Amino acid sequence: MSETLAPEQAIVVEETGAPQRGWAGQNVPRKEDKRLVQGEGLFVDDMKRHGMGYAHYVRSPYAHANIVSIDVSKAESLRGVFGTLIGEEVAALTEPFFQLATPPGAHIKDYALAVGKVRHVGEPVAIVVAATRELARDAAELVEVEYEPLPALVDARQALAEDAPLLHDEAGSNLAWSGLYEWGDVDSAFAEADRIVKITELHFNRFNSTPLECDGALVEFNRGTGQWTIYTNNQFPGFAAIMMGPAMRSGLDKLRFVTQDIGGGFGNKITSHPQLVAICLLARKLNRPIQWTEWRTDFHLTMSHGNERWFQDTEVAVKCDGTLLGFRTKALDDAGAYLRYEPLGGVIWAQVTPGCYRWKHVSLDFTQVVTNKAPCSPNRGYSRMQHLWFTERVIDIVAHELELDPVEVRKRNYVRADEMPYTTPNGCVYDSGDYARMLDVALELIGYERLAERRQDADSRGKLLGFGIGSTLDSGTNNFGQSRLINPELQFSGNNEVATVKLDIFGEIVVTLGTTPQGQGHETTAAMVVADIIGVSPDDVNVRAGHDSYWNSHAGFSGTYASQFAVTGLGAVKGASEKLAGEIRKLGSVVLGCGVDDLELAEGQVRMKGNPEAALPLMACGAIINANNAGLPEDLDVTLNARYVFRPQFEVPDVERKYGNLTLTYAAQVHVALVEVDSETGVYEVVEYAAVDDCGTRIHPQIVEGQVMGATAHALGAATHETFAYDEDGNLLTPNFYDYHVPHAMDMPPLKTGYIESPSPFTPLGTKGMGEGGGAGIHAVCAALQDALKGRGRPIVYDSFNPYHRVWELLQDPEASRVRVEVVAR
Amino acid sequence: MSTQDATASRTIIVEVNGERYEREVDARRLLIHFLRDDLDLTGSHIGCDTGNCGACSLLLDGTLVKSCMLLAVQADGSKLDTVEGLAAGGELDPLQQAFSDHHALQCGYCTPGMLMSATALLRTTPRPSEEEIRKGLQGNICRCTGYWNIIEAVKAASGQEVSVDE
Amino acid sequence: MLLREVEYARPSSAAEAVRLLDSRDGARALAGGQTLVNVMKARAASPDVLVDLNRIDDLRLISVSGDTLQIGAMATYTQIMAASEVEVSRPILGEVSAQIADVQVRNRGTIGGNVCSNDPTNHLPPLLVALEATFTILGSGGERVVSAKEFFLGVYMTAVGEGELLTSISVPAAANAADGFASITIGRDGTCIVNAAASLEGESPRVAIGCVDAVPVLVRPGGTDEESVHQAVQGARLEPPSDVHASAEYRLHLAEICAVRALRQAEERGR
Repeated sequence: MSETLAPEQAIVVEETGAPQRGWAGQNVPRKEDKRLVQGEGLFVDDMKRHGMGYAHYVRSPYAHANIVSIDVSKAESLRGVFGTLIGEEVAALTEPFFQLATPPGAHIKDYALAVGKVRHVGEPVAIVVAATRELARDAAELVEVEYEPLPALVDARQALAEDAPLLHDEAGSNLAWSGLYEWGDVDSAFAEADRIVKITELHFNRFNSTPLECDGALVEFNRGTGQWTIYTNNQFPGFAAIMMGPAMRSGLDKLRFVTQDIGGGFGNKITSHPQLVAICLLARKLNRPIQWTEWRTDFHLTMSHGNERWFQDTEVAVKCDGTLLGFRTKALDDAGAYLRYEPLGGVIWAQVTPGCYRWKHVSLDFTQVVTNKAPCSPNRGYSRMQHLWFTERVIDIVAHELELDPVEVRKRNYVRADEMPYTTPNGCVYDSGDYARMLDVALELIGYERLAERRQDADSRGKLLGFGIGSTLDSGTNNFGQSRLINPELQFSGNNEVATVKLDIFGEIVVTLGTTPQGQGHETTAAMVVADIIGVSPDDVNVRAGHDSYWNSHAGFSGTYASQFAVTGLGAVKGASEKLAGEIRKLGSVVLGCGVDDLELAEGQVRMKGNPEAALPLMACGAIINANNAGLPEDLDVTLNARYVFRPQFEVPDVERKYGNLTLTYAAQVHVALVEVDSETGVYEVVEYAAVDDCGTRIHPQIVEGQVMGATAHALGAATHETFAYDEDGNLLTPNFYDYHVPHAMDMPPLKTGYIESPSPFTPLGTKGMGEGGGAGIHAVCAALQDALKGRGRPIVYDSFNPYHRVWELLQDPEASRVRVEVVAR
Repeated sequence: MSTQDATASRTIIVEVNGERYEREVDARRLLIHFLRDDLDLTGSHIGCDTGNCGACSLLLDGTLVKSCMLLAVQADGSKLDTVEGLAAGGELDPLQQAFSDHHALQCGYCTPGMLMSATALLRTTPRPSEEEIRKGLQGNICRCTGYWNIIEAVKAASGQEVSVDE
Repeated sequence: MLLREVEYARPSSAAEAVRLLDSRDGARALAGGQTLVNVMKARAASPDVLVDLNRIDDLRLISVSGDTLQIGAMATYTQIMAASEVEVSRPILGEVSAQIADVQVRNRGTIGGNVCSNDPTNHLPPLLVALEATFTILGSGGERVVSAKEFFLGVYMTAVGEGELLTSISVPAAANAADGFASITIGRDGTCIVNAAASLEGESPRVAIGCVDAVPVLVRPGGTDEESVHQAVQGARLEPPSDVHASAEYRLHLAEICAVRALRQAEERGR
């Protein structure tokens, strides 16, 4: 049902900077598990405070409307209600959130509650706080809001039309941001081409990862110190703080973020800062702790939809043998009603401009608009997934139209292992990888040589068999300097993460991180890295779960997102551990009377190499420094409390040419899928599936594989069932798990996994961040469906989302989809 | 007042993981909220509004149910088993251990409900086939694992061989 | 997500339940709760009184007498799947019950709840129409029996009136019955996009199609061949709804396919 194939040839591990393999590479039992399997995890809604009030939101029923009046008096007079908050108050007490965009997007005014106007169904309008959850819900019904409905804009392709409803008056336009990206010599590429493949329109659908736990917070306000303590499951406190502080007219030190166990994030828990601001205001106003847990319906209506993107007027310059020379396209991105993390999506795709391929000449005209839908913000694969889907569709359609073998075409165009590190047309550097080899492994896993046989067998059962490949990249560790390509005035660049490691009075080794894991096993992998360096077992290392601003082990970019922990987080842990190790040796050299280089750390001691009897247990070291330090040399610089800020090597990109390295590492995945389509109904099933990944050095293989599997499941759900569909009035048709079908255990195909390891030459441990997965499953299923339907009029798969009814439509009217594609001979 | 009359609240007695609780509760209070908010048993979780996700799954008089679709008052006189009762004296039970061994949990949010469903399955079907496991867990959504490792863990806990993992 | 205030009663007999339902305006029976509690969470409906039927053992009985299989309205899907009486006398009921939702829902959800909620996407209404089931309703004035055709009246609407209670459902007992059921669902064993139930027991072929109208649509094909089924479905002039899962046109197409498949299955079993 799930098998893992180890590579047959020996893996070539580069020796640069790689640690000796001790714990790293083993499947150490996860530290997180013991509490989680006993139901003793601490998730935000588990927390209680004496006297706390429960918050319930009043939300807009309209996609677009002016707010004429709000009357909370009836709600406030209900027994058990502690108070309310409305937009007017928010506008008086806070500044609008900082906008990353240049004008017109820069002029959007975004507050913690709707002010004057609502711009998507579900938008928060007011909050009621009461003694119980039920009372808060009851009271919310008593809030009277008068609306003046306005026409709704739900199709991004209409957003810039003259008569389009205008969402933000202050912006004067529905344009959030636009930019033209051009590299190489696109005109010459097209002159050199044998064929130009034109595709009128491709569409990447709107969905997200629906983490099982919704957003939430419990906020306390200390009147004496003006300090807020925000217990929350926001996964990027660094970003939340930067957005909230100025909005609340507060220094960042007054915003203490504390996270504990988080029930999934996948990027969807990055932009909860508007809700956190509202709850903070209420905690101060009502002088009591305020508890807020988002309902599933609220999450679907308002949180973090993945970017919906059209690729229009695509032209691909190709040689007859399938060599890709270049492409032009217009990307139209639907950001929803507000720009919370956008328009960063407008540049982040450029981390993977040519996808896995050796395109040299690219022109991409990017436009992002606002619409009366839920705001978009990062979703697993953020903005790269959309673009990688595009590149995979392109190569698949090119192969399809030119009647070339999809395997051969990919191998012809893949960036080759011997070209690594490879610089892309816009200056990003793919660190390492062997995509062709991964494809071979995948083909073997799926039994590719028996494909013809399987087609016949499917045919005998009245089914159409399809085979599809999905190659993808998981770029990790952002250079935030790319934000300047969106807005040159932004003062962000580089990246960082912090860790502290200390050796305490009784020899306890304690680690704190700035990261906010939501299941990625940071406590375990961090402990493994520390254990290898300090010479103990991971059981001896106590890693505190979650993030706490009070620990001061965080920096501006702290959080868990963008596939970077294995580089930034573990880089910080490595740095702090090495610092600590150095101090232990220094202390050891003083106590044992020898040189620092004569000492090693092993088996819980610092001892002389070649003379293990001359040893000092770590417990003794801790005791000496913390409680028994008389007689130590005055200049001994040892605290046994190491703090390290990991900083990847980045330059600020060239804003003019939009050129530079935007990401440190590039994990890769190649998936293959076999689908069987019932041609009578369009219903299809994935009958066989293989996923091959390469994330460089694997610290904990089981955790890596778990991420690959999870990303695969997300992709399969997005390919077939999951959609945030809106009607023409802007009502969300899938606001809960009844209509938004999340795959369950019976929906998953048999899975085979394989891997190769191409360590990154750029990272302390050779690791590459991974976890997002780049949507490979979507690319593979799209390709497989197109292959399955080849014999039925050769329809083109043009959307990332292919529910049964769409497949049926492709079967019924293949010509309707073929109209989108034209091959012009030069 | 006879037990047959309609009331807006009542005193109920429930036994949870062998411990007896007597509380007054509003008729409208859902069983899952009663457990989490009134009894401080926060191991069972809430993940949706429509009874689809199964994070609230537990055993009611030995039967697997979703506690978000039961009123607390309906549990009057019943015995409940939740995730907190699985480990006896701090020792993980075979399912819990198997979940950890096979990396059948990542964020852990679906895990309590998943464990209760697996527990119920193994009681009715001690050596389930893969298909039976999938069907037995159909009512529990996980967004982290893709279910493959969970299925292996349940198989392993039932004493059956699983495919070799790296 | 959270219910409005409600009163709750837990009678121990059907008569007592009827008394409560009859005596209070806005009183509603609480069966499995797998639909009603969700409706109340969303506050789409908020009865004033819930009459919990779960302690009335008489309503859970499954029995065969003569050539009739009688199933108590409070029999859960799990019970129906496990009952030897069902296996022997009308197995399709157990097979279709096994496709509904998931284990947790099947352990609490009831056949009575399924038919009384009469959601157009439910499995059992079209099945019971095809099987020519009869429905026994208890009111303060006594019992009455209603045919399937008279039972299902509209979306979420049945012949069970205010102050009344569905007590049991009966179908003809027929070992090795020529019955069939086919559906297209959202994910495996998920909510139905279209479903159809067929039976060759009785005088002539019966095919009941669900998800296409407010109530199951019964068609009577002239024969069991595919062409006859197509003609019968087309003759019904269905106007199915359009939603996020299927356009009206696609549903119409699936209706024909499901009808054909259900009848084919019935034929195969009858051999």
